[in-house]
Amino acid sequence: MWRNYLKTALRNLKKRKLYSAINITGLSAGIACFILLALYLRNEWTYDNFHAHATELYRIRFDYGEKDQEVTHTALTPNGLAPVMKDFPEVKYISRVYPSATTVAYGDKVMNEKGFLYADPAFFSMFSFPLIAGNAATVLSGPNMVVLSETMARKYFGTTDIVGKTLKINNKNEYQVTGVAIDAPANTHLKFDFVASYASLGKQDTWNSANDYTYVQLASKATAGALHGRLKNLVKEQMGSVTRSGVTLDFVPESVPGIHLHSIALNSTEAGGDIRYNYILTIIAALLLLIACINFMNLATARSAERGREIGVRKALGAVRGQLFWQFIAESTLISFCAVVLGIMIALVLLPVFNNMAGVTLKLGLDSYHIYLWLAGVFLCTTFFAGTYPALFLSGFRPVQVLKGRVMHTSGGSIRKSLVVFQFAASVFFIICTLVVSNQLKYIQQKKLGLDRSQVLVLSGENFSRQMLEAFKGRLLQQSGIKYVSASYDSPVSVGGGYTIGNLEGKPADYSMNITAIPVEKDYLQTMGISLLVGANLTDADVQDILKEDKDRVYHFLLNETAIKQLGWTAETAVGKRMVMNGRAGTIKGVMKDFHFASMKTKIEPIVVFPEYEWFGEVLIKTSGDNQQQVIAGIERIWKEYLPAVPFGYHFMDEDFNGLYKSEFRTGTILSTFSIVIILVSCLGLLGLAAFTAEQRTREVGIRKVLGASATSVVALLSKDFIKLVLISLCIASPFAWYAMHQWLEGFAYHTRLHAGTFLLAGTIAIVIALLTVSLQSVKAALMNPVKSLRSE
Amino acid sequence: MIQLQKISRHYPVGFGKNYILKDIDLTINEGEFVSIMGPSGSGKSTLLHIMGLLEEPSEGQYLFEGERVDRMNEKKRTQLHRGSIGFVFQAYHLIDELTVYENIETPLLYKNIPTSERKSRVADVLDRFNMVAKKDLFPNQLSGGQQQLVGIARAIVAEPRVILADEPTGNLHSDQAKVIMQLFKHLNEQDKITIVQVTHSDVNATYGNRVIQIRDGHIQP
Repeated sequence: MWRNYLKTALRNLKKRKLYSAINITGLSAGIACFILLALYLRNEWTYDNFHAHATELYRIRFDYGEKDQEVTHTALTPNGLAPVMKDFPEVKYISRVYPSATTVAYGDKVMNEKGFLYADPAFFSMFSFPLIAGNAATVLSGPNMVVLSETMARKYFGTTDIVGKTLKINNKNEYQVTGVAIDAPANTHLKFDFVASYASLGKQDTWNSANDYTYVQLASKATAGALHGRLKNLVKEQMGSVTRSGVTLDFVPESVPGIHLHSIALNSTEAGGDIRYNYILTIIAALLLLIACINFMNLATARSAERGREIGVRKALGAVRGQLFWQFIAESTLISFCAVVLGIMIALVLLPVFNNMAGVTLKLGLDSYHIYLWLAGVFLCTTFFAGTYPALFLSGFRPVQVLKGRVMHTSGGSIRKSLVVFQFAASVFFIICTLVVSNQLKYIQQKKLGLDRSQVLVLSGENFSRQMLEAFKGRLLQQSGIKYVSASYDSPVSVGGGYTIGNLEGKPADYSMNITAIPVEKDYLQTMGISLLVGANLTDADVQDILKEDKDRVYHFLLNETAIKQLGWTAETAVGKRMVMNGRAGTIKGVMKDFHFASMKTKIEPIVVFPEYEWFGEVLIKTSGDNQQQVIAGIERIWKEYLPAVPFGYHFMDEDFNGLYKSEFRTGTILSTFSIVIILVSCLGLLGLAAFTAEQRTREVGIRKVLGASATSVVALLSKDFIKLVLISLCIASPFAWYAMHQWLEGFAYHTRLHAGTFLLAGTIAIVIALLTVSLQSVKAALMNPVKSLRSE
Repeated sequence: MIQLQKISRHYPVGFGKNYILKDIDLTINEGEFVSIMGPSGSGKSTLLHIMGLLEEPSEGQYLFEGERVDRMNEKKRTQLHRGSIGFVFQAYHLIDELTVYENIETPLLYKNIPTSERKSRVADVLDRFNMVAKKDLFPNQLSGGQQQLVGIARAIVAEPRVILADEPTGNLHSDQAKVIMQLFKHLNEQDKITIVQVTHSDVNATYGNRVIQIRDGHIQP
């Protein structure tokens, strides 16, 4: 019996090529996209789930804030925390993690490595990063020990059999290789290429700065709540002197598997995922599959007239509804099987493209049986979901009616229409979203930032001493094409808070304010194109002031407008006032115009720019933009003179700023790509329906033509109904899209507005696409010779 | 064999009813060859469909071999339908996607007959109708007369007791029609199959042994 079903199904498939092609293409496109999105989402939802002790792992978050001011949440904690916590009964293992990009050298191979972490000995016991070589308990037990990832082992040594060999780290110290770890998977927030022992850093334990991550594994039966309670007591003991009433100081354990999607902490090792985007993508994945299934249902039921006779005959020959039901299910099975196979192939081909687009490294693990179970699930769901309704619908035909030629032309018509409306509503929704998102991204890129980040090259500054930097700068400025050179503690997009200003002239003695600050070299403002509202730029004299002995040292601060406003001053009166920032006494030298240093998602915060020459993370070079290659080559030459052992590397400041919106750009791309797929798949369905309608109305068109109808009027006649449907879907989709996009834009402190124009544009796009699709068939019908179509009846 | 008692068939029109068949009393005995004649729209086909269980009467009783069909459960009716009744249509109604062989095989599939028996029975019928050479052709590769032969082969393969034929020669020219009618006569006389045909043609009616005239839903005396 099944052989017979399958044979009929195959022959049907072959006979109606357009129909089969539309069905299989639509479904396989839907399935391919579904597979890709599901892989991506699986990666997102399973972040750090793979650790054997995932539920016992916590990262300590540090919350702090002055009285009546917003609390800052950061993932960075003082490194003095871990040694104290070690003795808590709730703690089984504890490890600090300190990421630090550095240079790694083996023989003549010298490279800059970004994925370099320092961690305490318990690191590999806590986290499930399996070691190929080395003992997890001891690989980090002493200073100058390092574990490499498999990839890095091969990159430097060409083999993983490297325990005992040495690497030169940061141009100074020889580290001994104690282990090799399997590469960290894509779904962890702690990705690493190297893990060196924390003891190698030789850092003093301190409570005065927060630059380290602290991870703990709870002892069995201990709870995060209990740990939090103990940490609260600890704060009282250790930091009692700084805790005044109303000041927030808190260490909060955050579950490691939750970090990627739920952490509110800033400064994490990896930008977190946005759970809202994940919801959106889940909806897109489900919609894609749903829309492809709808196509199938629509086309199958639309063709009922054609199949009706066969159903009638089969019933007259003794088939019962159940048998016919299974026959149609067999047909759906065949089609969805083809579609699943094709879909998997498409997904495999597109996976690298998708990985690139989404910034991930996903694999379709065809070697594990999970994936097959999972694909079988998709296959069964599609088959039954797409096949059941048509099978029920078709097998329910009354044999006499169809045999008598009384085929219900309108049967299932309203369901079909609703399904088309649903498809197009989804399409319109996504067209609107894509337009709004791309508008906002354009806005972000074009908005005047108050600083000029273009043509600014960023080099690593950490290997320069003050004298070296000055000499380096002098040499650079002699080069043509270089306008300014400066340096700063950190990139403007990742400046940290953590500073407090107080002892302000004219303010009560106990007044203080949290503020963000950047220690800079004196030419910072010119290099970054930040303009001053009042006051003067930093000078050599100002630099001399900070290089003096402690008691004579005077700082010169530049504050932004927002800071001045928050202090309740005006720019004019503020200049010259005395203030103290974290022990640095000085005066306000000028007021800068506000500039965007953080993401547009947040309002501009108060910020201080001040000269401090202790350590520079970044050297900033403003170029004219002409002869870019030559200028960079020149810079590299000079770099080699000063730091021959350090590989030269650079990036543009623009990249730092774009990095702020990485997840937005990524979502924007994913959204627009999949919107296009949704629209295309919907159009395929519409194409099929239009072809069917045109065919069904052949006789009507023939008669109308004999009566003198023009081709145009026939096209209009056949297209009118579809356009009506698209208009209805536009009305349905617009409010949803408006609401969703309103919510999304609210997430930005600075955003574009939603205008009616966007909605009109989306509607026009939808109508034009629908019209093009439908008219293809309508024109064909309209141009047909009426004699032919009438004779066939 | 077939007994119709006070059979009516109507459909609602506005507030009233429009009768297609009204109070039909008819008995057809085993082995008869009955021709139902009458003008278009007189209800001939409806009567045939009711006999073939494709349609249900609005009123009246239908007895098949003395058993009331309306009192049978679904299973029994399906059995009766599959086992005892064969259909032949004016438009042949072969399934376009199936070959001659497969078309003939279909009723046996629905009867859940085992593969080996199915094969031999289809082979027998093909042989008997001289269609072995054409068994792998598709319906659109056959002439009308040949298609109708397949239609009849399909109707008798399940060894029905009754063949219900709805204008079996309506789409054929007279030579072909003659072949078909002779085949019916043969089936009736040799195989003792009861045959009920609806026809417009007086010539065709002569092949049968009884003619029932129907007009406006009534049997003419």
